[in-house]
Order: sequence, then structure tokens, then C-alpha cells
Amino acid sequence: MFRALSGPIFNKTGRVMLNRFLILTVGLLIAPLAFPVGTFAQNYGHSRSADGWPQPTWDQPPVTARNKKPAPRRDLTGMWGPAAGHMGGLQAGGVLAKPNNGKPENQLPYTPYGLELYRSHKAAEGVDAVLPADNNDPRNNCEPLGVPRYNHYNVRLTQIFQDATKVAMLYHYDNRWRVIWTDGRKLPKVVDGGVEIDGELREPRIFGYSVGRWLDDQTLEVQTVGTLPEDRVWLDSTGRPISDQVRVTETFRRVDYDTLEWSETIHDPKVYTAPWQTMKLPMRLHDPGTDIMEYYCSPAEQDAYDKIFGSVASQKK
Amino acid sequence: MRRRLAIVLFVGVLMSAPLFAHHGSAAFDNGKTVVLKGTVAQWVYSNPHCLLTVDVKGEDGKVVQWVAETQAPSIMYPAGYRKSSFKIGDEVTVSVEPVKNGLPIGRIREVVLPNGTTLGGIASAPVSPKGQ
Repeated sequence: MFRALSGPIFNKTGRVMLNRFLILTVGLLIAPLAFPVGTFAQNYGHSRSADGWPQPTWDQPPVTARNKKPAPRRDLTGMWGPAAGHMGGLQAGGVLAKPNNGKPENQLPYTPYGLELYRSHKAAEGVDAVLPADNNDPRNNCEPLGVPRYNHYNVRLTQIFQDATKVAMLYHYDNRWRVIWTDGRKLPKVVDGGVEIDGELREPRIFGYSVGRWLDDQTLEVQTVGTLPEDRVWLDSTGRPISDQVRVTETFRRVDYDTLEWSETIHDPKVYTAPWQTMKLPMRLHDPGTDIMEYYCSPAEQDAYDKIFGSVASQKK
Repeated sequence: MRRRLAIVLFVGVLMSAPLFAHHGSAAFDNGKTVVLKGTVAQWVYSNPHCLLTVDVKGEDGKVVQWVAETQAPSIMYPAGYRKSSFKIGDEVTVSVEPVKNGLPIGRIREVVLPNGTTLGGIASAPVSPKGQ
């Protein structure tokens, strides 16, 4: 290009090159005026890694009017983490919207059976916590947590992938994943012992049967049924119960490019007299290349921990 | 603190730590902090909790072995804990919240490494990873 421009500018080839150069220059000058600052920049932090293994960066810059970018249409794809930071999705004291702290506003509408179930659960967390040795949380045996408890247990970096038929979620804890079908299939009917599909009884599943539909271009509503029964799973780490009759409704609302709001309401007439909201968790977009350390339940490591620490901590004076 | 390897008990005004997974807070003497000076005997970087074992010599010359826990590696990494953070024989100062039954175990509130670096406890705010 330089050679062309340095030659006579009125010959045919030189004029074409000059025109292209001018268009490019003017375009580059106009582009920043046409789009807000930050449109092209990423709002998530980066950790430097000489070998290309960036670690999570939790001190994300705030989303402001200046750097905010619009949410893409019907797209939840990304690496998401609680906006409040790496402890923002812990929920050890109970689900986010109703922590189990004994306050009147956080009392749950138990059915008699639900209350009986709650009292049979000896949790290590919450207002009725017991010593580690008395704790009967199914998690202690590395049992799968099930839906919806995976949404309430140490939520950190969560990856979402999607295609034309489904959304897949990869949870951090125990490297678990689930599929939400978005191809229009029906939500199965809940029956005793599982769900009914095509007139057949189908088995309960750890992640149940999930279908999603777009309420608008930014909001996916997900319904899940057919989960594990109440003798296999808990709702949260404080021993609140959940049954296989539950219908879990989640909404994933892409507020803007960098923010995803994850809400959940449960309807479980076997255990609760009314539906109630369990969480509303804002998530922030992270560097998609972030390396995620494993956080798993290993029976051998759990056993070693219990011998060294848990059983000692539970001894009476 | 006169004795280099003494156990100093503080009944602090620290707020009890919020509830953390895995085993809960019922076993801990919330609000109390014990400061230990001793040498590292073992550092286990595993799930569900990392465990730091420290030999602490008392006034009578007897060594008491304390076990102090953190949360899991992936949770503690942002606070600066690494698999290589402790070596056997390192002299460290560890502040722990002890258990109620008086046995020498607790959960880490803070650790001062031989080079003076301080690592926070379970509730600590994340620090930037290396190189950031």
C-alpha cells in the first residue's frame, strides 16, 4: 500500500488504493463515536499466566452505564461466577433467599410431613446444627446432591453451553453437569415413583427432567421435575427437605452482556404448603479461559478428614 | 508473649465466622482465637478441607500437635493457599478458632509464614493470584 500511495495518485491503481485508505481511516475515526466506550472491551478481569492457565479473577470491575454492553439474543453461553465474589454462592447457612437463621421472615411453610422430615435431618449448618459426628447429610457419603441442591451448594464458576436444542450447565462442585432441553419437548408429568413419558413410568433422576422456554430474548424459564426422593436428597445444607414431587422453576435472565440473574422457586406440595423463592443470584461473566480447580467429594479423602478432624471435633469434653 | 513456642489464648471480640461448608460451626468455640507458634509437621492439600498440622511446644517442654483446617483447595486458592505454601519444619504462627471440647484442633483464621507473608482464614477476602 505504501508503494502505491507514494507513486502518482492519479493513475488508476493508485486512486483505488487511496480511496480504500481514506475509507478505512475515516471508518476507524468514526467507529468510536458510533459505539459507546467499552463496547468492544471485556469487562471481566484477567489473571496473567505465562503458561496460559489463568486463575479466577473475583475482583471484577463494576458494570456501569459507560461499559455496559447489551445482552445477546437468547444466549446464556459463558463462564459465570457469583457477582458477590467467590463466597457469594456458598449458601452454607441455607438457600440465599431464606437463610436458616431462625428469623421469623425465614420460616418455611412446612406441611406436617415436611416438618417431620426436617426434624429427622441432622445438619451441620443452620440454626439447628449438630456436631460433625451426628450429621446425617447424604453429602457426607458423597451422594449426589440432586436438583435443586446443586444450585445451593458452593456455587462458584459455572459454565453454560448451548445449541439449538439444549442448554448444558457445568457445575463446579463434583464436576457435575445437566442438560436443559429447549427444543419444545413437553415437561413430563410427575407420578408416584417418577415421571410419565409416552405413557410409561420413567425413573427419577439426579438432575430430573428439565425443559426450558424463552420468555423473551433475554430470559429462559426452566422447569424441572422427576428428581430423587426425599430419603436421598436435601434442599440445602441446613437439612431443609425436598421431595420427588417438587417442580423447580428457574429463570436465567441475561440482564446485560456481563450479568446473568439466576432465580429459583420451588413448588413441592408434599413438603411445603405453598411455592416459595429459594434464590436470586446475580452472576458475572468471567474469562472463558479460566482454569477451574477441582472441588470434589472423595470417600477416601472424606474418611481421612473425619478421622483426623471431624471425629475429634465431635468428642465430648 | 514471652515464650516463643507458647500457646496464647485470646477470648476475642471477633465476630463468629459465618457458616461455612463442610462440617458446620457447631463444634467451634465461636469468637475465641488461639494463637499458636510452632513448626509445620504436615500440610495436606485435599478435599473436603486442607489440614495443617503444627507441633507446638508448651511451657513444660511437651509438644502438643495441633491440627488446623481450612476450606477446600479451590476455595482457599484465591486467598493465597498453595500446595507449596508450607514445608515440614517451617516455623509459623497460626491463629485458630478452637473447638469447644478443648482438644488441639481448630480452623485457621490466619497464618504467618516464615517469610512474613500472612494468609487469611476461611472467610478471608480473595487476594490476587500469583502474577496478577
